[in-house]
Amino acid sequence: MPIILDGTAGITTPMYGGSIAANAVTPVTGFKNRLINGAMVINQRAGGTVTINSAAWTYVTDRFCFLGQSTDGVFTAQQSSTAPAGFNNSLLVTVTTADASIGASQIYTLRHTIEGYNVADLNWGTSDAKAVTLSFWVRSSVTGTFSGCFNNEGTASYPFTYAISSANTWEQKTITVAGPTSGTWGTTNSNGIRLTWSLGVGSTYSGTASAWNYSTEYFAASSTTNLISTNGATFYITGVQLEVGSTATSFDYRPYGTELALCQRYFCKTFDYATAPANNGGNNGMLMCGTISSGNYEPNAMWRFPVEMRADPTVTLYNPGTGTTGQWTSGGGTTSSNARIGSGGTGGIVIDNTDTTLTGSSNWRIQAAAFAEL
Amino acid sequence: MYKLVKDIDGNIKSVKRLYDNAFIPFDPANTDYQAYLKWLEEGNEPLPADEEK
Repeated sequence: MPIILDGTAGITTPMYGGSIAANAVTPVTGFKNRLINGAMVINQRAGGTVTINSAAWTYVTDRFCFLGQSTDGVFTAQQSSTAPAGFNNSLLVTVTTADASIGASQIYTLRHTIEGYNVADLNWGTSDAKAVTLSFWVRSSVTGTFSGCFNNEGTASYPFTYAISSANTWEQKTITVAGPTSGTWGTTNSNGIRLTWSLGVGSTYSGTASAWNYSTEYFAASSTTNLISTNGATFYITGVQLEVGSTATSFDYRPYGTELALCQRYFCKTFDYATAPANNGGNNGMLMCGTISSGNYEPNAMWRFPVEMRADPTVTLYNPGTGTTGQWTSGGGTTSSNARIGSGGTGGIVIDNTDTTLTGSSNWRIQAAAFAEL
Repeated sequence: MYKLVKDIDGNIKSVKRLYDNAFIPFDPANTDYQAYLKWLEEGNEPLPADEEK
């Protein structure tokens, strides 16, 4: 863009016919989106269509997890290639068993938790608390007033509502929230802000919309639409962004490798990206070693995580081949019985074994996945 | 159900969650460890660690 410095007119930009101020654009700054994987691109667990039928948090696309119920309503969740213009992926929910009468304490939700380090500057819980704006694209076969909630790990809650006015049509929603001046909000590697989208929440956990309360844990606004109540209902979401201020700006696209690395702080695996962690999942990415003899032979391998993890992770081991699950396997098909994490931290782990009968002549192989989600 | 796990130095610094064989470190920031502590508070006890060879 040419710039003219003129003693009378000042600084002008003739290509665009105006002053610098008139042609100014919102500066693009990195990491304005405090969420990770808001475009639903990263999908390390590669689980395909996942059935949510229990009260256990289940991750689908990275950093987004679901809670269901062990009885009554059931839904599936998966990464989808259906997306609004400017996006390539979304997260799709499909109700497969409707719960038309949600119990007072029942909760069907989608959740994203932001680590405290990434929102520490918001000063939430103080008189200097900053406003934030949540924006996202949503599409559903069901219309109505839906809801969600901002939470800390305690009882500070801000239920919000958004309307889906046209069935099966992408709509962008924006919610601006004044920062809470009370409550305890994590500023290190613990929970910073929890965001919940209700798929159906009972009355015990539903409260007044558009207001902070500091005494009750809510996950939804009262008297809003419950997706889980309609069999076959679909719900897509993508382009999720939380930014400082009272205005929703364009989506903060980050390089794919950067977004993947951000996700790996919370979950990573030895498997190839597109391979779901599982026993008999093949050799690609596996750890392999000979044995160390210290009275008995045992495999002993180091796995250095791709990035420093949020906390010492929970680690699940997988047999790359057939045989006993979660165990080392030799090139000859023998499996161990006592694979374990011999030592570990946020940077990596040592996987060894305590069998007494392994031989020293094999190439021992194992796969692993590490979990440090919030 | 959980089982205590010894590390390479013989110290107990993690548990194994038996239903999925996940190794859970004793890190207060680990959510699975937080769930384990709640399980203990309910009066449950883990299985002892294997003896070292």
